[in-house]
Amino acid sequence: MPPTDVDAASQPAMLACENIKMSFGGIPVLKGVDLSLEPGTVTALAGENGAGKSTLMKIASGQYRPDAGTVYVRDRQLPMGNLKASNRLGIAIVPQELASIPELTVYENLYIGRETRTPLGTLNRRAMIGEATVKLREFGVDIDPAVQMGSLPVGMRQIIEIVKATSRGARVLLLDEPTSAIAEREVAHLYDVVRNLRDQGVAVLFTTHKMEEMRAMADRVVVLRDGQLITDSALADITDDDIVTAMIGRELENLFPEIPRHKDDVVLEATDLVIAPEAEPISFRVRRGEILGLAGLVGAGRTELIECIYGIRTPVSGTITVSGNVLKPGQPQASIERHIAIVPEDRKGAGAIMPLSVIDNATLPRLDIFSKFGVITRRKRQAAIGEAMRSMRLKSDGLGQAIENLSGGNQQKVVLGRWLTATVDALLLDEPTRGVDVGARSEIYRIITELAEEGMAVVMASSDMPEILSLTHRALVMREFSVAGELNREQLTSPDAQDTIFRLASGLETSHPTHTEELAP
Amino acid sequence: MTTTTADVVSAQKTRTWKSIVGNFLIRNIMVVVMLLIVAFFAYRSARFATPDNLVTILVAAAPFALIALGQTLVILTGGIDLSVGSVIAASAMAAAWSAKNLGDNPLYPLLAALLAGLAAGAINGFVVSRLNVPPFIATLGMLTLASGVAYVIGNGAPINGLPASYGVWANTEFLGFTVPVILMIVAIIVFAFVMRRTSYGLRVYAIGGNRLAAEIAGVRSKRLLFSVYAISGILAGLSGLMLSSRVSTGAPNLGQGYELDAIAAVVIGGASLMGGRGSVWGTALGLLLIQTINNGLDLLLVPAYWQDVIKGVIIVAAVAADVWASKRRT
Ligand SMILES: Nc1ncnc2c1ncn2[C@@H]1O[C@H](COP(=O)(O)OP(=O)(O)OP(=O)(O)O)[C@@H](O)[C@H]1O
Ligand SMILES: [Mg+2]
Repeated sequence: MPPTDVDAASQPAMLACENIKMSFGGIPVLKGVDLSLEPGTVTALAGENGAGKSTLMKIASGQYRPDAGTVYVRDRQLPMGNLKASNRLGIAIVPQELASIPELTVYENLYIGRETRTPLGTLNRRAMIGEATVKLREFGVDIDPAVQMGSLPVGMRQIIEIVKATSRGARVLLLDEPTSAIAEREVAHLYDVVRNLRDQGVAVLFTTHKMEEMRAMADRVVVLRDGQLITDSALADITDDDIVTAMIGRELENLFPEIPRHKDDVVLEATDLVIAPEAEPISFRVRRGEILGLAGLVGAGRTELIECIYGIRTPVSGTITVSGNVLKPGQPQASIERHIAIVPEDRKGAGAIMPLSVIDNATLPRLDIFSKFGVITRRKRQAAIGEAMRSMRLKSDGLGQAIENLSGGNQQKVVLGRWLTATVDALLLDEPTRGVDVGARSEIYRIITELAEEGMAVVMASSDMPEILSLTHRALVMREFSVAGELNREQLTSPDAQDTIFRLASGLETSHPTHTEELAP
Repeated sequence: MTTTTADVVSAQKTRTWKSIVGNFLIRNIMVVVMLLIVAFFAYRSARFATPDNLVTILVAAAPFALIALGQTLVILTGGIDLSVGSVIAASAMAAAWSAKNLGDNPLYPLLAALLAGLAAGAINGFVVSRLNVPPFIATLGMLTLASGVAYVIGNGAPINGLPASYGVWANTEFLGFTVPVILMIVAIIVFAFVMRRTSYGLRVYAIGGNRLAAEIAGVRSKRLLFSVYAISGILAGLSGLMLSSRVSTGAPNLGQGYELDAIAAVVIGGASLMGGRGSVWGTALGLLLIQTINNGLDLLLVPAYWQDVIKGVIIVAAVAADVWASKRRT
C-alpha cells in the first residue's frame, strides 16, 4: 500500500501486519488492519484516543494475541501472543507507560534479563558498566551508568528504554507516545536517537498526538480510525489539517477557543508561599473566570506549586485563600470542601485508580453528594456522572468499565470530568492535555474556557507552549521553585512571547521586566 | 462498504454467542471448581450430600468466616493481618477469664472478647497507619504478642470449669442454626452490602487500588486503614468467643494457624494481595471451598497429614486456574 514499492519482492517489509482483527468484550477495536513498514523509515501512527494504536503495537510485539490476522517480520511469520518470539525476531517496544525499574541503576536496567557473567557465573558488573557507557554514548547520552534510574528525569529514562529495547539488535522499533511524558528540550534528543536508528536501517513506528512531532520525525503517516487504517501517505504529501480530519472524521476549525473576559473578584490567592526550602516566596491572585498559566522547564516547581495549593504537599510557609477562607495546608479533603479540583500530572500514579470502574473513580471525590447515611445512592450518581462523562465525550464501554482498560486519553477525560458533578471554584490543572488527541484536546480547551466563563478560577501548568500562549489570561514563568517572571495577555500575544518565556525559564533574564526592556550586559 | 459492515456485525454476533458460555465459565471459574469438588465428594461419599452434613460444614466454617471477612478488608487495602489467629486465642482467654472471675453473665465474656479483639486491632491499625510500619511486620509482631498475652492470662494453662452460661454463645439455636452460623450469614450479607454499596466500601477499594490518588480524591487514608485493622481485630475477638464457647474452655493455643486459612479463602476468592481487587462473595466462596474440602476428606477418612497435603495442592491449583482464566477473560 505504501506509494513507492519498486522492488518490494527483493526487499520484504521489515514488519507486515495483515488483516489484524481484535475485539475486547465483543467490541471490535481493530477490524482488519494492514500495515507494512520498510527498513530505514519512520512511520507515524495517528488516531484518536481509543482508536487502537497501543493495541496494534501490543499485537505486533506479542503482548496481545489478535482474534485474526498475521504479523510477518522479514517474511517470517510471528507466532502470535509470544513476547519472547517477537523479541527474538527483532521487534522492540517502548510502551506508553514507562516500565523501567527506578530502584535499579541504569546499567542494571539495561542488562536485566541478559546479564553479563564472569566465568564463575557471578555478575560481571564492570563489563556491563563499560559496555553500557559505550552504548549510551552512541545515542549521545553522557551519563554515568551506575546512577539510579529513578534519579534521572523522565525524558532520559525514556531514551534509556529505547537504548535497552534496541540494543538487542532490533529491526523494528515501536514507540508508543514517546514524547507525552517528556519536556520539549528532551524531545530534540529523542529525535536524534530516532534518526540515528533509522539510518541504521531500523523500521520505526511511533504514535503521537502532536503534528510538530510527526513533521520532525516521520517520513510517512498512517491514520487509524474506527478500527481501520484510513490514510496512508508520505508526510510531504499531506497537510496537518488533512491528518486531523482523517483522525477525528470531521474538520476542526480552531484548536483554541476564544478566552472570555474574567471578572474582578478574587477566588484564589497565594500569599508569600514558599514551596521549597531556599525558594523565593510566591504571591498571586486568580480572579473569577481567569486562566492563569504556569510555564517553566521540567523541574521548575510547577507541579510542586499546584500540589501545595491543593494540599497534597505542605508548603514551607505562606497561605492559600479560597474565596476569603484560609485553606488548611496538607489536607486535600479540606480543599475539596472549598470547591477546589485538581487534575494531577501523573495520571497513572495520582489520578486514576486503575482497578476501579469509571463510575467508582468518578464517585470518589464527590462521595458526600452521592451518598446518604454512608450508602451510595446509585441512581443519582449514575445520572450525574453519566452527564459529566457525556460532556467530556468519553469513549468507553459504559461507566462500569475498569478505567485501566480505557485508552490513555480517555482516562484523562475521566480524571478531569469527575469533578464536574458539583461546583468547582478553583480548578488546578497540571499538564491537562498530556497524551490527549487533538479532537479531545480541543474539547478540553472548550471545557476549560466554558468552566472559566461560568466563574471558575483556573490555574494551568503546562509544557505545551501554544497552550500557555493561547489559553491563558496571564502566565507565571517558574524557575527553581520561584516565580521568575510574569506575562500578561498582551505580552503573551506578542510575537516574541515564546522567547521571553524561555529566557525567564532558563534564567537568562531574571527580574520582572516587561520584555521590551533591554537585557543587562 | 455497507455489506462489509454488515458482515462484521453478524460475524461478531455469532462469535459473541459462542463465547458467552465459555466466558461465563471463565468468569466464574471458582464456581466451576467448587461444583467439581462437590460432585466428586457427593459421588464418593453417601453422607456428603445430606442436610446434616451441610450444617456440619457451616458450623465449621463460621469462626473462619468472621476472620476471613476482616482479612478481606485488610487485603483490599493492600495490607495483610497475620495476627488474627493469636488474637482469637487472646480474646478467648480474656472471655474465659471474665466468665470465671466476674460472674455468671454471658455478656461479660462477649464484652471481654470484643474489647480484646478491638485492642489488638487498634494497635495494629495505629502501627500501620500512623507509624507506617509495613502491615506484614506490624501484624507479625502482634501475632507473637497476642499469643504471649493468651498464655499470660491463663498462666500458661487453659481456663476450665466455666459457668454454663459461657456455652450459650456457640450452642443456642434459632431455626435450627446455632448462633455462629447465623452470625456468619448475617456478617457475610452485611459486609457484602458495605463493600459494594457504601462510601466506606468504595474508599477501602480506592486506597488499595492507589493510595495517593485516593488521598487526592479526598479519602482520609490513615483513618480508613486504622478502621480496617480494628474491624479485623473485633471479628477475630468474636471468632475467639464462638470457638471457646463451643467447648466451654479457654485454650491459649486456640486459633493457631487460622490466619493462613483465612488468607487462603480471600485469595481463592479472587482478591489481589496488592490491594484494590477482591470481593466479599469471593471470600465466602473461597471459605466454603476450603471447608468443603476439609469436610469431604474427613468423610473419606483420609489421614490428617494427607489432608493437609491435598488441601495445599487444591488451594494453589484453584488460584492458578483463576489466574489462567483472568488472562483469558475479555
Ligand atoms: N485490556 C483491555 N480490555 C478491554 N478493553 C480494552 C483493553 N485494552 C484496550 N481496550 C479498549 O480498546 C480501545 C483501544 O485502546 P488503545 O489503548 O489501543 O487506544 P489508543 O489508540 O492507544 O489510545 P490513546 O491515544 O488514548 O493511547 C479502547 O477503547 C480501550 O478501551
Ligand atoms: Mg495508547
